[in-house]
Amino acid sequence: MAKGQLALVLNAHLPFVRHPEYPRFLEERWLFEALSETYLPLLRLFRRLEADAVPFRLTMTVSPTLASMLGDKLLGERYAAYLETQLRLVAAEEKRLGADSVFGPVVALYSALYREDREDFETLYGRDVLGGFDFFYKKGRIDLITTGASHAFLPLYADSPEAVSAQIETAMVAHRRAFGKHPAGFWLPQLGWHPLIADALRAYNVQYTVITTRGALLGSPTPHRGSFAPVQCPNGLTVFVRDAAATKAVWSESEGYPADPVYRDFYRDIGFDLPIEYLAPYLEEERTRIFTGLKYWAITGSTADKRPYDPAAALVRAREHAANFLAARTAAAERAGPLMDRTPLMVCPYDAELFGHGWFEGIHWLESLFRQAKEFSLDIVSLSEYLRLYPESQVSTPEFSSWGDGGYAEVWLDGSNDWIYRHTFKAAERMTELAERFPDESGLRERILNQAAREVVLSMCSDWSLLMRAGKSSTFARRQVEDSISNFGKLYDMLCSNTVGTEWLTRLEKRNNIFPELNYRIFRKKR
Amino acid sequence: MNSEKLDSLSLEELYALADKMELDLPTGLERLFVMEEILDAAEEDSEDRRSSIDEALLVEEKKYSGSESDNLELRIGVPPQLEQRYNETMIRALVRDPSWAFAYWDLSDAEKSSMVGDESASPLFLRVVELDREGGDLKHGHFDIPVSPEDLQWYINLPRSGIRFRIDLCSRRGGGSGTRIRILARSNPVDSPRQELHPGSEGIDQAGLRLLQLSGIGDMRIHTQTSDNPIRIITSGMELQPGDSD
Repeated sequence: MAKGQLALVLNAHLPFVRHPEYPRFLEERWLFEALSETYLPLLRLFRRLEADAVPFRLTMTVSPTLASMLGDKLLGERYAAYLETQLRLVAAEEKRLGADSVFGPVVALYSALYREDREDFETLYGRDVLGGFDFFYKKGRIDLITTGASHAFLPLYADSPEAVSAQIETAMVAHRRAFGKHPAGFWLPQLGWHPLIADALRAYNVQYTVITTRGALLGSPTPHRGSFAPVQCPNGLTVFVRDAAATKAVWSESEGYPADPVYRDFYRDIGFDLPIEYLAPYLEEERTRIFTGLKYWAITGSTADKRPYDPAAALVRAREHAANFLAARTAAAERAGPLMDRTPLMVCPYDAELFGHGWFEGIHWLESLFRQAKEFSLDIVSLSEYLRLYPESQVSTPEFSSWGDGGYAEVWLDGSNDWIYRHTFKAAERMTELAERFPDESGLRERILNQAAREVVLSMCSDWSLLMRAGKSSTFARRQVEDSISNFGKLYDMLCSNTVGTEWLTRLEKRNNIFPELNYRIFRKKR
Repeated sequence: MNSEKLDSLSLEELYALADKMELDLPTGLERLFVMEEILDAAEEDSEDRRSSIDEALLVEEKKYSGSESDNLELRIGVPPQLEQRYNETMIRALVRDPSWAFAYWDLSDAEKSSMVGDESASPLFLRVVELDREGGDLKHGHFDIPVSPEDLQWYINLPRSGIRFRIDLCSRRGGGSGTRIRILARSNPVDSPRQELHPGSEGIDQAGLRLLQLSGIGDMRIHTQTSDNPIRIITSGMELQPGDSD
């Protein structure tokens, strides 16, 4: 009998970035890099486990914005072009370093990676990566769940039921469109929970979600099984609790596994090391240095102490770290088990992009985890499976919380980003006003209303406020919010003044083509 | 930002960039020195940023590993000019954490005009009013924060965690015993989160307490009892003077 149950939850998400009006767009690379290093390698991992009959289970979000981009024809074409550019760069590097006994094997690694990516993307999936995830979803290996339509940080909007419902309902519709099923679970963007959103989630038949340990332990009443079992809100919503120790082991940049010196250094990239003239043919803009994805050094120490990356040694370490992780969870389960009336559960929610993209060896770590779990008397379960096993849990309402610094809303509400809420709340309020004024529109006016609703939903994206706070791509992040708010303002004015710029509207619809089934009436007043 | 990029800029553009970065450079410097100053400042800024943001953010930001778009305006044009205000009298409260709330507000042009014409109107202030968690009625009292007519937002240090409150945007008219308080706008009620265990936790048995410890409660700065913030003790209506209204 298993000593404990382990539930891995991955949130695959990127904000909506799509600019057809430009031939190439730098920030679209976020998607291409994640596809190359995380999403396609994850699918290869699933296939390897399946081929070896390893019974893996995973709960996973494919966010509505990511699903939209993965299903987009234009971005698919651009990703194919990106892969060709990467392969040309790798070929140049093979020419430069192929004979080098230290760096040659590292270049070969990238050559294999991008070739496999191209083969999978073009041939195996016919550019339909969502179909790849859907296959394992329908097979019951992974539970696909959804999250806020534009990944809004919901606690800050908790007392605006129309804004919260718009995020949830749009996500539900997008999930059904992508995968043909209603999701049982809902990933709270940034694990941002507020008691006021429990009813909204239940109203859309969400059965479960996940929150931080802190939010659960501060709940009312205190959960007497700690984080080793979920709690249930009075309305029946099951709330799983993140395991704090498992989080730290993987997530911590200073103490977590990814910080091990033997792993590949994310930041040391040839895009910043080699002469710009050499790199220029492979860059978005010829004189702007960027991360190319080709990184040859291990984390090791400062620049003078840096050692070349040794892929074989890194994979051995990833296996060791997986075993260490499982041993630590087993030890925790052995301590908790005798104190409980059910098998202890440890829920491990992470950003999917950490694996492969942020932590290059992370995919291998995951694979080792699935392969070794049985040796450690741990059952790896999905959250739905657990819920079928234990449909009832202690009734408790968790406290407002998130996984951001400080545990609340500090990341999404500070001097760098607080200006956005005046605009997003106003836009949501005006959208409700429009939906009430025009409840039954069709034709052109309905198109305007739908696009207006789309812009409001997009403006609420929590990634932009996070980037403003981080000071990374902050100008771009600011611009995304400004554009959405400005677009909404123009659409609002069109409806109020009864004048329509059809050409501009069509252009906007083509650019921000996300959520094609969005119905502006989701913003109608909640009565 | 890198030296090749800076190399492609004219001296005038380099000075403009330095100005944008709030570097106070003497005029007439050789371009090499201007470039060095800019690169040093950018490096320092990057180090400061990295040391000030938390680990989760560092992990998250790896998802966004493009170049810092310091030339965004060149790439995608000038940003739209957003309305800074919506010409309405309103106030909204948002809770950031157990200790801090954020409020933003505005006054309509008509409201502003009426105040300009009224010589007895004193500057605005925010009244933070604690409410009962269940019924929404006044519970303990309030405290006031003076704000200037130019202010449109404020971070408010809260007296305690786990309270329900609202924020009134007020003006005071007249003086002495004739003072009258006018509430210009009233915010949504909001709850600050608790940072101590639920009172009922005292009844948890030994096994439950051990499970809380195994869950990591010791590392979470969770308090055992409520404590007041000494600089923000809510008064029991002491500032209300006869003739006040709200």
